[in-house]
Order: sequence, then C-alpha cells, then structure tokens
Amino acid sequence: MTTQFIGEHLRPGQLGHFFIIASFVASLFSTFSFFMAARTEVKDPVGSGSWLRLARGSFILHTAAIISIFATLFYVITHHLFEYHYAWEHSSVLLPGKYLLACFWEGQEGSFMLWIFWHCILGLIVMGTAKGLETRVMTIVSLVQVCLGTMIMGIYFGQDIQVGSNPFILLRHVMQAAPIFQMGNYMDFIRDGNGLNVSLQNYWMVIHPPILFLGFASSLIPFAYCLAALWKGDYKDFVKPAIAWSLLNGAVLGTGIMMGGAWAYESLNFGGYWAWDPVENASLVPWLTLIAGLHTLLIYRATGRALKLTFFLLLITHLLVWYSTFLTRTGILGKTSVHAFTGDGTALTYHLLGVIALLSIISIALFQWRRKQIPGIKTEEATLSREFWMFIGSVILFLSSVQIAISTSIPIWAPLAKWITGKEFAPPIDPMHHYNNIQVWIAIITGILSATILFMKFKQTEPGTLSRRLGITALIAAAMGGFIAWGQHIVIWQYDIMLFAACYGIVANIYYGTVVQKVKFKKLGPSVAHMGFATVLLGILLSSYNKHTISFNNTGVEFDLKKTVAENTKENRENETLFYGVPAVMGDYFATYIGDSDVAGKDKRVYYKVLFEKKDSLNDVPSEQFMLYPDAFINPKGQQGLSSNPSTKHYWNKDVFTYINVAMDNTKEDTTSYRTTTVTKPGDTVFLSDAYMIFKDVSKTVVNNRRYQPEAGDLPLTATFDLHDMSGKVSQVNPVYVLRNKEYIVWVDDSVASLGLSVRFAKLTVKSQDSVSVDVMTRQVDPKEKYIVLKALVFPYINVLWIGVMIMVFGFFISLGDHLSRGKKVAS
Amino acid sequence: MKKMHIVLLVLIVASIAVIVSVFGSFSTYETFTSASKEPGKKYYVIGNLQKDKDMIYDPLKDPNHFIFYAKDKAGNVNKVIFNGEKPRDIEKSEQIVMMGYEDGGTFHCSRIQMKCPSKYKKDMVAEGSSS
Repeated sequence: MTTQFIGEHLRPGQLGHFFIIASFVASLFSTFSFFMAARTEVKDPVGSGSWLRLARGSFILHTAAIISIFATLFYVITHHLFEYHYAWEHSSVLLPGKYLLACFWEGQEGSFMLWIFWHCILGLIVMGTAKGLETRVMTIVSLVQVCLGTMIMGIYFGQDIQVGSNPFILLRHVMQAAPIFQMGNYMDFIRDGNGLNVSLQNYWMVIHPPILFLGFASSLIPFAYCLAALWKGDYKDFVKPAIAWSLLNGAVLGTGIMMGGAWAYESLNFGGYWAWDPVENASLVPWLTLIAGLHTLLIYRATGRALKLTFFLLLITHLLVWYSTFLTRTGILGKTSVHAFTGDGTALTYHLLGVIALLSIISIALFQWRRKQIPGIKTEEATLSREFWMFIGSVILFLSSVQIAISTSIPIWAPLAKWITGKEFAPPIDPMHHYNNIQVWIAIITGILSATILFMKFKQTEPGTLSRRLGITALIAAAMGGFIAWGQHIVIWQYDIMLFAACYGIVANIYYGTVVQKVKFKKLGPSVAHMGFATVLLGILLSSYNKHTISFNNTGVEFDLKKTVAENTKENRENETLFYGVPAVMGDYFATYIGDSDVAGKDKRVYYKVLFEKKDSLNDVPSEQFMLYPDAFINPKGQQGLSSNPSTKHYWNKDVFTYINVAMDNTKEDTTSYRTTTVTKPGDTVFLSDAYMIFKDVSKTVVNNRRYQPEAGDLPLTATFDLHDMSGKVSQVNPVYVLRNKEYIVWVDDSVASLGLSVRFAKLTVKSQDSVSVDVMTRQVDPKEKYIVLKALVFPYINVLWIGVMIMVFGFFISLGDHLSRGKKVAS
Repeated sequence: MKKMHIVLLVLIVASIAVIVSVFGSFSTYETFTSASKEPGKKYYVIGNLQKDKDMIYDPLKDPNHFIFYAKDKAGNVNKVIFNGEKPRDIEKSEQIVMMGYEDGGTFHCSRIQMKCPSKYKKDMVAEGSSS
C-alpha cells in the first residue's frame, strides 16, 4: 500500500525536473548541431548555416531552461518548501532574506548551477562575437555544458549507481528509511529547515561564490578558443579573443581568490587571509597557469613564438579548474583541509574523473594531431628582448603552480608513495613554512621580471637606455627597501630580497608609466597591473612578517626563526582568559571584558564587549581607547560549543584583530544556587551582591519580557522591579510567571547579562483581593566566574595588500579596454 | 643548443632539486608508538577520542591546556595534551588528526583536526524525537 502524502507542493519539483531534462537535451542537441555546422562549413555552406541556426536556437533554449531551473529552485527556497531536501538542508524560516541567495549556492547542486549559468551567459556573448570560430568554440562550450548538466541530473542506474544529484529531490526520498516518512501527514512535523551554517551567514557568502564561479567559468572560453584554433588549423583569428577572455578571466578569478582571502580574514578565525590551505591553493593554481598563458600568448602575438606553450598553458588552466573541483568537492582532501567540505562519495569522484579524462583526451588528441603544423620560429630570440624574459617568467609561474599542485595533492599521490616507501605521507607540519620557503623565490623572480620586461622591447632592446633606466630604478628601490627593512625590522635575508623585489616592482612600474609612457591612460594596463602585483607582494610581506599575537606576546609566527619544538609549542599558546571587569595586558593595550548582549534568534548570538585602552600602566590615563565586539553563536544548531566571528579595529597602518575562543555558556545551568526573597508590597527591596532591586507591581496585562512566547491557554503574570546598579543606573527587570492550561507553571526568567543576574518569579501567594506576595528567586554569577577566552592579533600594513589587489585588477581592466578598442579601429 | 634551452634546462633541474629538497618537509602519519621512537619530533597521529576517560579543560586556570585520551589506529590509548582551547564538538568526533610530538608517554599536540559525522544522521534523530 502506498501512503498518501498531505501538504506537499509537488508542482515546483515537477517543473524543475522538466527544466533539467530540457536543458540537458538542449545542450546535447546544441553540441551536435554546432559540431555538424563546423564539419560542413567548407563543403556545404548552406547546410552549415542551417545547422548553425539550429545550434544557436538550442543553446538559447538551453539558457532559458537553466534560468528557469534557477527561478524554480529559488522559489522553493524562498517559499520554505521543506518537503524539498535542498530547501530543508540549506535554509530555514527565520533566515534573513539576504542569505537566501547564499543558501542557493551553499549546496553542491546550487554551486554547479551557478557555474552552468555563467557558462550560458559567456556562451551567449561568444555566439555574438566569435565569428569564424563560433561553431567550433561553441561545440566545446556546449559539450562542457553537457558534462555539467549530468552533475544535476540525479539519474539512477540500477540500485546503487547515481549519476549527478538533483536539487529537486524530496526530503522523503533522501531519507526513505526514516519512520516519519511512513506517515502521510509528515509535513505537519517538518516546520523548519536545517538553516545555513552559522559561519556562512555573512555578506561574503552572498557575493564571493558568484565572482569565484565567474572566474572558474571564464577559463572555459580561452580553453575553447585554443581547441577551436587547433581543430580549424587557424592560428590567427583566435589570438585576439583569447587575449581578451584571458584578461577578463585573470581579473575575475584574481578578484574571486582574494575575496576568499578577505572573507577568511574578516569573518573567519583562520587568523589570516591566506593559509596555503588546499582549497585556497586549488583556485590559485589555475590562476597562475592562466597568467603564464596570457603572457606567452602576448609573446606569440608580437613575435610568433611560444604558441605550443600557450596552448598547453591555456588548456591546462581549464583542466585545473576541474581538478580543483575534484579536490574540493569529493571530500578527498578530508583530513588535510580546514574547510568543512563533506564529500558526496565515490559516485561524484568517478563522475568528475570521467569529465576530466574526456576533456583531457580531446585536448591531447587535437594537440597531437596538429603538433607538426603549429607554427613557430626556428631562430633564436635576442637575450635583451621582451619575449625572452617574458617566456622565462611564464615558465617560472608555471613551475610555481607545479610546486603548489604537488604539495596540495598529497592525498592523491600518498597511496603511491606508500607503496614505494612504505610510509604514510602527511601534509607538512608547518605548511606556511613549507610553501613560503619556495614561493618567496618565485615572488622575487616574478616581481623583478614583471617590472624589468616592460622596459624591454620585443625582438631587440637598446642596452644603453635599458641599463640606465634599470640602474636608476634599482637604486631607488634599494633605498626604499632598506628604509622599510630598517623600520620594520625585517632581518631574514630572503625576505629582505623579496622586499627589494617588491619595491623594485613598484618603483619601476611608476617610472615606466610616468616617464616612458607619459601617462597615456589607455596604455597603462600592464604597468598598473604589474605595480599592483608588486604592491601585493609588499603587502603580503609586511602583514605576515610582523603579524603577531598580542594575547600572548610573540612575533614571527609564520617564519621559522630556528626555534626548538618546545619554543614553537609555547608560541602556540595564544589564548588569554579575560575575567569580567579585570584588565589584562595585550601588547600595547589593556583589554577589559566589560559586558555582553545577546540577540534573539534561532541560533543564539552573543556580542562581547571588550574595551581596549592604550596606556603604559594600569593607572595611567589612556592615550587611546576603543571597543571591540567579537561575537559568537552559542551552541549553534544544537551542537556543543561556539562558532565565533571576529571583530577588528582598523588603522591605516595596522589591524587589531580579535575573536572569542571560549565563552561561558550563560544558558547552561550552573552551580550557583538561587536565593529566595519574598516581597509583599511595592517598595520592598531585594539585595544582590553589587546591586539592589525594588519591587513595583504585578501585572496581568503587560508582558514585557521578550523571552516569553505566548501559547493558547496561558495566563501570564509579570512582576516588575527597578534594578539599581553600582553606577546608579536604573533599569527594569520583568520575570514572568505563567499558568499554562490551568495545569502547570512555567517560569520565564529575566536576566541582566552585565551583572550575571537572573531573576525568577517563583511563586505567587494571593492573600486577599488586593494583597499578594511574590517569591522572587535571584541568582547572580560571581563576576570572577564570568570570563571569555580571547585571541588578539595585530596585522600591520594589511591595507597595502588590499590596495595592491585592487590596483592589479584595475590594470587588467585597463588592458582589456585598450585591447577591445584597438580591435575596433582596425575593423573600421 | 640554444640559450633558451639552457635556461629551461637549468630551471627544470633547479625545480626538481627544490621539490626533492622540500620532500623532507612532508610529514608522515604515525602511531603513538612509532612517534615515541623520536621524542620531540612532530608527526600526525590519527586516532579517536576515548570518551570513557577524563577530559580536562579549565580555562580559568589555563586557556591553552586541554587534556584528553585518544586511541590510535594500532589500538594504543595515550594521554594527549593540547596547547589550545578545547575544540568544539570534540565529543562528537568520529576521528581526530593530532599534530604534535610524543614525549615521556604523553603526546603534546599543537593542532587538532576533527572529522564529525555527517549532519544528516544527527538531524534525523532530532526530527524523529520531535514527532
């Protein structure tokens, strides 16, 4: 017998399923038609034209279907249709509206949808601009859409093999075994969803994924152009669009990655913006190969060299995007990453491996097929030429990505290494040290090269001018670097060289932009982007070299200062306990925990007030003071412990960054016992350890306590007290006494967090018509027992990093604008 | 040989040398017993929390001192001192990866990573009991 289910909304799901199938079929058909249009292009131009029209039509249809899936899923989430697993898993009724979008891409299916959506938009632009290469580029784009489409299909083959996972699957289908789903009216019990992970509830979660996925998605277009060029055997037409798309890709992916860093820095507790975490590395690696590929493509445009390397780099960039998806989604990183990604199991692993294999085979096959005919130049380039050093720079960037990729992929090669050596390999004990030690050299070389090559010309450079200009630059940079090194006490020689490289990059690019290029805005792209890059290097160096924990005074956390294990262990002791009202020394400051306040909501969030005062000794008048409000969700989603968000004081030259690691749980029953006082008439006083309350009245009508949630059949009584604290402030306390259904009593205590006080209206005795007595129970936590455990860090000059990123991205866009407008002039 | 080839060769040799030289900085997963062969050297040990033994954390005394017992893959139970706050939800962890060194029968741990059971099952219990 089948159960009849009541209260479900099945229509959106059916529509959603339909759109998924429609989008998949449309992308298949569009792949096939673009392919046919490409094949018949020469032999049968008329037939090819009609294939093309069909193909375009079905791609537009595909886009429409994808947008409809988006809209349907969004409807399901915003209308809280918890019969759908996706809505139940990722959203909840009380979740603020702005985070509903974030719910959308919190899940696997939603983020694949986002990726597919961007491909659609980019595909439409390509259809309008690619001209002679359209059929071939779009064949590849549509094919990738087919691959992505299978990710959200959710088709079963037999009992166990599931291909993709469908966002419209019903909750009762996911958890078939649960007894609740044997009941027809199960919807009556599912009133609310799981909600968005509390650590994801901030605006970064709303804007970061779309940007990052646009970055991932835009790597497809250079990839598709390269394959189209190989397929057609046309090595000219693809250059211009490939440069434009690579510039866009570099800007957007770069922004996405650094937004991730800013998010981690601003609202997570990783204690920094970059930790060489596998998830961060996985998106950095394709960016590095992309930038390398962009530069070799520029070499090819100017000199006809380096085309093979260009193909290799731009093809591998997109494959690496898939590889990074594989690393981060399948849970294979498991024990090596701090990001809480849950794996979707082996089905997804093989699915993604299948896609990567397919795209790799197509890439390798086309490349091998055309290898002999890919144009190149046999003669040697001059040593003093831009292409020579640009090529070397690109190779260095690629080697950098190789090192990061190898170190990140430990879980992939560890089984092989175990088979050979018998050891079970683990990530480095100190990943910062492991990566920094190598990447500092990459930073030095690329920093110097990126500045130097601008002064060189393609093909041949006049050595006299070059050495004069570079000499001036090096002198200024050495002076600037020396000054900073002295001021910031940078003593490790590798980092002094890196400092020089960064200064050299900044000085050289300003010099080049102003003196050599005479500030012609349109031409400034490369020097602005490279200056931004050098500024990023400077910002990284300054902020991490002198980053220090002030909750336990130490320096040089990220750099190996050749200390013993025991000393390093001691440095990990970075937490400090702040007792309520007792100032503690933190760096230049005295920090005092002076109160907290909680915010109502499903997950209880508490803000802690910490006063920072800059002064030399406790009794001095502070030269400066400010308040920080780190907050934490106490026991979110019924779990033990807390999930905290940092609070940061920003200066122009440094940030003071704090977060809570442990807080006393005010909701827990503690051992402090209640003391009972009986009050009979207005004016009676209840004495507390550092305050007193004066009884005012008992009211049947006004309920002035936000903890009280009325129910039918309630008879609430509110007692009102005036609370006088030590500072003379007066506030009201309103404990509520509820007779529920005339059967039992419910106490709704009132509390005053700053005093650690809770007040209970415990008993009501009616003596006569107008004489009552109230038993009031008070409990006050000894301030000594009220504490938070705080970690405080200082990041000097972090703004240099953020400004550098912005300058770099701005440079990309200047170049893009110039590149696009240059094409128009030639055409007209 | 063209000079570009020489440069590339140098770069490739250099990068192989670098990768080989940093290979030593990769750590290994050990057990308490194998880690105790080299006291003071840091390793990763995979194990799980012994819930029947005491967990001691008193932030009033020292917020950077958390003591618990863990059983490694070989089945040995060892005392672990973690120099940090008690990680949230450690009671619910299925597996913990501890980074630190063994010394005098105690594992001194400076980093902990936990694997918790998937959200699903736990929520299912919660749902079931509410109905």
